[in-house]
Amino acid sequence: MPPIDCEDQELLEGFLTETTELLEKLDDDLVVLEKSSDDADLLNRIFRSIHTVKGASSFLGFDLLVKVTHKTEDVLNRLRKGELQVTPEIMDVILEATDLVKVLVSDIKAGEIQEREVDGTIAKLLPLLSDSAGAHPQSAAAPAAQATTPAVEPTPATAAVAETVAPAAQATPTQKTAPLPAVKPADEVAPRKTTPPPKPIEGKGDDLSDNSTVRVDVKRLDDLMNQVGELVLERNRMIQINQNLQQGDVKKADFNEEFGKLTKRMNFVTSELQMQVLKMRMLPVEKVFKKFPRIVRSMARDLGKEVDLRIFGEETELDRSVVDEIGDPLIHLIRNAMDHGLETPDERVAAGKQRVGTLVLSAVHEGNQIIISIKDDGRGIDTDRVGRKAVEKGLVSEDQLAAMSQRELFDLIFLPGFSTKDKANDLSGRGVGMDVVKTNIKKLNGLIEIKSEKNNGSEFILRLPLTLAIIQSLLVEVEGEVYSIPLSSVLETLRVDQRQFHIIGGQEMLKLRDMVLPLVRLEKVFNIRKRYAKDDFCYVVVVGAADKRMGLVVTRLVGQQEVAIKSLGNYLAKIQGIAGSTILGDGCVALIVDPVGLIDGAEGGVGR
Amino acid sequence: MSNALVVAKSDESRGELIQLVSFNLDQEEYGVDVLKVREIIRMPTVTRVPNTSHYVDGVINLRGKVIPIISMRKKFGLVEAENDKQTRIMVMDVDGELMGFIVDAVSEVIRISGSEIQPSPAVVATGIDQECIAGVINQTERLLVLLDLEKMFSSDEKKLFGSL
Repeated sequence: MPPIDCEDQELLEGFLTETTELLEKLDDDLVVLEKSSDDADLLNRIFRSIHTVKGASSFLGFDLLVKVTHKTEDVLNRLRKGELQVTPEIMDVILEATDLVKVLVSDIKAGEIQEREVDGTIAKLLPLLSDSAGAHPQSAAAPAAQATTPAVEPTPATAAVAETVAPAAQATPTQKTAPLPAVKPADEVAPRKTTPPPKPIEGKGDDLSDNSTVRVDVKRLDDLMNQVGELVLERNRMIQINQNLQQGDVKKADFNEEFGKLTKRMNFVTSELQMQVLKMRMLPVEKVFKKFPRIVRSMARDLGKEVDLRIFGEETELDRSVVDEIGDPLIHLIRNAMDHGLETPDERVAAGKQRVGTLVLSAVHEGNQIIISIKDDGRGIDTDRVGRKAVEKGLVSEDQLAAMSQRELFDLIFLPGFSTKDKANDLSGRGVGMDVVKTNIKKLNGLIEIKSEKNNGSEFILRLPLTLAIIQSLLVEVEGEVYSIPLSSVLETLRVDQRQFHIIGGQEMLKLRDMVLPLVRLEKVFNIRKRYAKDDFCYVVVVGAADKRMGLVVTRLVGQQEVAIKSLGNYLAKIQGIAGSTILGDGCVALIVDPVGLIDGAEGGVGR
Repeated sequence: MSNALVVAKSDESRGELIQLVSFNLDQEEYGVDVLKVREIIRMPTVTRVPNTSHYVDGVINLRGKVIPIISMRKKFGLVEAENDKQTRIMVMDVDGELMGFIVDAVSEVIRISGSEIQPSPAVVATGIDQECIAGVINQTERLLVLLDLEKMFSSDEKKLFGSL
């Protein structure tokens, strides 16, 4: 395929930036439009966006893009004039067209114009332009149904399109009827692992927006400059104090006072600076959330469910590294809630609930964590059924099941290979989704909590650290050695008498309220030489990773400190139970304990 | 072994002057290419790292960078000795990563011509992996063992890293 021959590179870049922004917004607007179809302003805005894209692309000579946008614009124009009414069917087609536009734009961005199959989509738009379409909106559905097929058929040239359409278009009823063996695996695999190009449409949003550069608020940059200015002043001050000291013309008392002040100011300036830099790395979680209305809409259509998605706190900010990682788990959780949680409208009515289900997606800051919750008012987790399935699939034994608490039963759904579905379909049933959630959240040092009540819905609560570079940590001492435990994984600390420990199958356990907590002695795991005389009392740090809990036995708690994570380098990478290292105030290195690794290791040891 | 010979020969053929940092370890003198040595420091506080090879003493803070510290004595299977005033850590660049090596003492930087490097004799000092010996330098008064540290981790460790 010919590379893009565009004389004015700047012009092209401008076009791409503008178009990308417009398209990102367009998705949102279209979904909103479906709900409030009489919003003339909104409709006009959508129309203008498409029109702008069309105008710019025709100027630059991207013919395919013009073709698609032109027809889409025509349909939107009819909607605007009131010749057509907004129906879900029409929205399906328009959304498909915008997806296609995105694919075309990303082609341009990649520098290669591919010969894409656009006629299928255009064919779907055309009936909407004939006069009869307005009178019989239903008729639009039929051509739409047939027309998905050409776009999805995996001919080499359109394979990329097919894949990109698949995840988003799971909703279109055609997917069930059309024979799509090639696409089915793609939509399950694609959202989890980024298959190198062609990318799925869900990843497309990120794809279009440039991830290698950051846009920073000018004000933040100015603030940063100010902070650096202050730091320079403090440095000069420090040099001055040092000089005075060297020359010996200061009294000790004066020096002490001066130096004390300087230390305070330095402390202040550096922590401010740290916050500023951290903030610059922050992105609003909206970046991830904005894809969801689209996904929920199409899934709802596919499953024949009625859903009201409410999003709160999308302005909550978190680190880029975290934003990049939470997209997939959230998609799986939403998918899970839509498919397993919410009932069909009829079932809901029968259960005495409102016809339309609610799915609430919210994000809030809490201390140094961000808490994302996905809550539905569906049927809740049926623990009996979950337990039965787990036994059927051979994931747990009957005996194990009988001994499980409510919490542990909920946790079963995270087991790889677990699914309550008898047959896998496009959406779910392979038992990978929740495993992905668990793995990704673990990777982020996060925790998952499930709250569920039968018939009243379930809530999945994710607790994630704000950043991965600097963490709050709990310093503990084990037989004279200092270790740092990420505070995000610490649930509580206890001082206990060792005589209260129970031994079950060689494993030390502690009865803590209603749970039995497996204990790990850090000095054993890390082979630390005994230094102190045996003491009956010790401290237990209760840590949790994703859905597991365990207690770490330590000699002493040292305190809480914010630490910067330093890698141990390739040579010492991946030591079981060690996540990295950090440098303490006295210049010594302290190792950061990896609770996830320890828990996994302990599981391996127990033979699970 | 064969690799070491190749290195030695190529150096020989060039016959140019090379600079070596010489250090002592249990009565013997060794040399490493000066270009590989980043700095030589005194013993700081070493933080032990659990569950690693026995010759990894731990990690240290080198001006904000955390680097692993390897005990040469342990690595070469020599008797362990107390650290004293002479003990130094040679921070070296091994395959693009900084690592510290504990040696008994660092003596000097010497210049030799490539032709002085002889292939190592078949039987060399106890316990030292033959692979990391790049050659032997025989000067009138002294015998220097030329080490190639990148080869030090070539055999089993490299495999280990690869699998990690």
